[in-house]
Amino acid sequence: MPEVVNISFLESTLDTAADEQRETVVGINNVSMVFNMANQQLNSLKEYAIALARHELRFKEFRALDNITFDIKRGDVFGILGTNGSGKSTLLKIIAGVLEPTEGSCTINGTIAPLIELGAGFDMELTARENIYLNGALLGYTHEYLDEHFDEIVDFAEVEQFLDMPMKNYSSGMVARVAFAVATVVVPDILIVDEVLSVGDFMFQQKCERKIESLIKDHQVTVLIVSHSNAQIARLCNKAVWIEKGHMRTIGDVESVCSLYRILGGHEGSPESEALVYDALKLPSVEADEDITQTIVGEDRFGSAVKLREASSIPTKTPSIVVAPGTNDALCMLANHVSALLEAPLYLVRPDAIPDITAHALKQEAPQRVIIIGNENEISPVIEAELAELLSEAQLIRIDGKTPHDVALNAYTQLDGWGSCAVVTWAGCSADTISCMPVTLRKRAALFYVQRGGGLDDELKSVLETGAFDEIIVLGGEPTLPTPALEALPIAHKKRFCAPNPSEANRVINEWVDDELDSAAAQLIMVSAADPADAFAVGQYVLSDHSRVLFENAGDLDSIANAIRMIDNRKGADLTLTFIGSHVLFDQTDKALLAKVMKAR
Amino acid sequence: MSENAVTSWKKDRFILTALVSKDFKLKYRRSMLGVLWSVLNPLLMMVVLSAVFSFVFRFEIENFPLYLILGNTLFALMADSTSSAMHSIIDSASLIKKIRINKMVFPIEKVIFQLVNFIFSLIAIAAVMLFFRVAPTANILFLPLLLFYVVLFSLGIGLLLSALAVFFRDVCHLWGVVITAWTYATPLFYPVTILDSWMLNIMQFNPMYYYVTYFREIMLWGQTPGLGENLVCFSFAAVMFAIGYLVFRKTEKKFILYV
Repeated sequence: MPEVVNISFLESTLDTAADEQRETVVGINNVSMVFNMANQQLNSLKEYAIALARHELRFKEFRALDNITFDIKRGDVFGILGTNGSGKSTLLKIIAGVLEPTEGSCTINGTIAPLIELGAGFDMELTARENIYLNGALLGYTHEYLDEHFDEIVDFAEVEQFLDMPMKNYSSGMVARVAFAVATVVVPDILIVDEVLSVGDFMFQQKCERKIESLIKDHQVTVLIVSHSNAQIARLCNKAVWIEKGHMRTIGDVESVCSLYRILGGHEGSPESEALVYDALKLPSVEADEDITQTIVGEDRFGSAVKLREASSIPTKTPSIVVAPGTNDALCMLANHVSALLEAPLYLVRPDAIPDITAHALKQEAPQRVIIIGNENEISPVIEAELAELLSEAQLIRIDGKTPHDVALNAYTQLDGWGSCAVVTWAGCSADTISCMPVTLRKRAALFYVQRGGGLDDELKSVLETGAFDEIIVLGGEPTLPTPALEALPIAHKKRFCAPNPSEANRVINEWVDDELDSAAAQLIMVSAADPADAFAVGQYVLSDHSRVLFENAGDLDSIANAIRMIDNRKGADLTLTFIGSHVLFDQTDKALLAKVMKAR
Repeated sequence: MSENAVTSWKKDRFILTALVSKDFKLKYRRSMLGVLWSVLNPLLMMVVLSAVFSFVFRFEIENFPLYLILGNTLFALMADSTSSAMHSIIDSASLIKKIRINKMVFPIEKVIFQLVNFIFSLIAIAAVMLFFRVAPTANILFLPLLLFYVVLFSLGIGLLLSALAVFFRDVCHLWGVVITAWTYATPLFYPVTILDSWMLNIMQFNPMYYYVTYFREIMLWGQTPGLGENLVCFSFAAVMFAIGYLVFRKTEKKFILYV
């Protein structure tokens, strides 16, 4: 899927009336920077002559910056946000006067001190003392000024002991300190900081920030900062601009720009999805204590499985329980179907050990049967022994098989009570399998896997033909189950789900689920598309509360837009939003965005 | 606006002195003889060349060693300053990309550095003059004027080469060959008289011929250079400087993209 990075201008939240009176210190007018790409390869006379003779001197243009216009007023602390390669450093170099813009102009009203990579001009063979004078000269200081402030510089850099040693013997932190000290000993009108604060240890960063803050507060220096740390920009700046691939996307006060950048910056997705998410951002915020969303997650997938069991509506002390290997997604999916068949809880274990949290939870159960899904490599006999110890009265039944295909067939033949719906998919299609669960588990559908390489082998074919199924759902394209073979099966209702990307697949499946189920959704379960492992045991939870499963990936605007649409479709009805994933997968901003949409219904 | 120009010129001067002193410190740091090399090098060259050409080629030139060393040191001034100026922009790439600086500073600095080295080798020349009892005449006072011509000339070439080298790196190799050829094309270690008349005609277009002859006139033969000669020297220098300056100024904005 080709990358669709949006570059349209979104909005400006500048308070132009208040700004009018203040003096413009940096004026950027329709600045564009065009680089000729072909040129860069011709660096000898021979190559140039050959290209000239071949009429290949036409150059590929690369617009690093396109029509950037904004003003920076005196005293502003201006942040520049953007993903890598968006043109931030190029813009800074144009402002610093190092680069001439191809189009447009940049007017500067005051002296500039650029901190574009510290230590430019340092010669490592010279001592610090000599380098301070050299670098100071290059930055435009006079000899007398450097004499006056020499001690101040050495003090700030804390290198008094090492002044007369060649700088090649310094650590990188010391070099950075000396460079920063020389650059900030003067009080400029405009200070430009280009990601220099990302170098150095945290004490150095603190020192630099304090110095910059003192320049801002005590001397009303205008500061331009480029940083990848949103937190830093939010801390230091009062205004910000977001530049994406050379285009200005938004400009205004720092909170709005930062929140827009955080949600939309660098994320792929169609313009329509982006517009939806953008509108959602504008909704009024939700207070932190309003519990509009809930999260069910443990420390890892095993803990999450336990939590899901606790949150499910399956009673305690059921006659059977299901145990599956948490690291094998195909077997976990199968285990979900088995657990729905038996109305039993599902627990996940490691291949050769039962995690503590699972063991602890198992003690609360008192089953007569324990169904173990997987062969001895996936769940070793050690586990059987541990289970026997924990649950002394239970009978251990293993559903064996060399591959998931075999295990699935064995599950079908060894257990009774399966419904008349069959799901056929390939091992690795967990997302779609989970998305279908609200319907398939209700119908006690049997899950089957095709062999690796796809296609209907004889064993599976005979099971499907003789199983008296009236519905078959294929999750996967032609390689999984070719259409002729599908047509040939004597099953009344056939359905295939195969979409070019996960968000599309999820959307289509949920539409189908809505059609199949009479009742509307009362719960939306959010699973992370990036790492669905926490939801490997979600089957036991899905049947409660008429749930639907949505896969969301914070970096994919299309999936977020899906979620927003689904929430909006359920206006007026009771709805809960449950996240199954840690704060790494769904962080505060992601949850807050969807909470806003929930509240606004 | 002119105030800006004055302060920026002062700043440039400080940058120049800072860079020259940096080059100086770096050149002789860690070497035993240090600055003495600036004196020793021309002396040693002179000894070797005198030996070779006096015994092998037997030219009849009065005071051949002094004839040699005068030609060599002046030519070396031009050759070294143009060659090092040629690399100056490329070598300062990192600086140019980060700081707003008057780029002309770099080639100028290299030429001045070579001039300083030349001043040191004047000591060697003085020693040779003393040794061979060649008395200096009042014509020595023309030396600053000659140096002005040569520096202006070298600066012109240096500016031109440094700009070209940014775009076409093989200029650096080409220039090495040009200098070698030029060394033989200038009467440094042979008298002009041995050349055929057609070669002499071509020699009229060799600026270094005039400069080296000027140097020998004022130091060795105690003659006063005439107005015509001065004019010729000056025009070569002025024209070369004009060309170099224009090319440099026209292309300096693009340096950052290619360097």
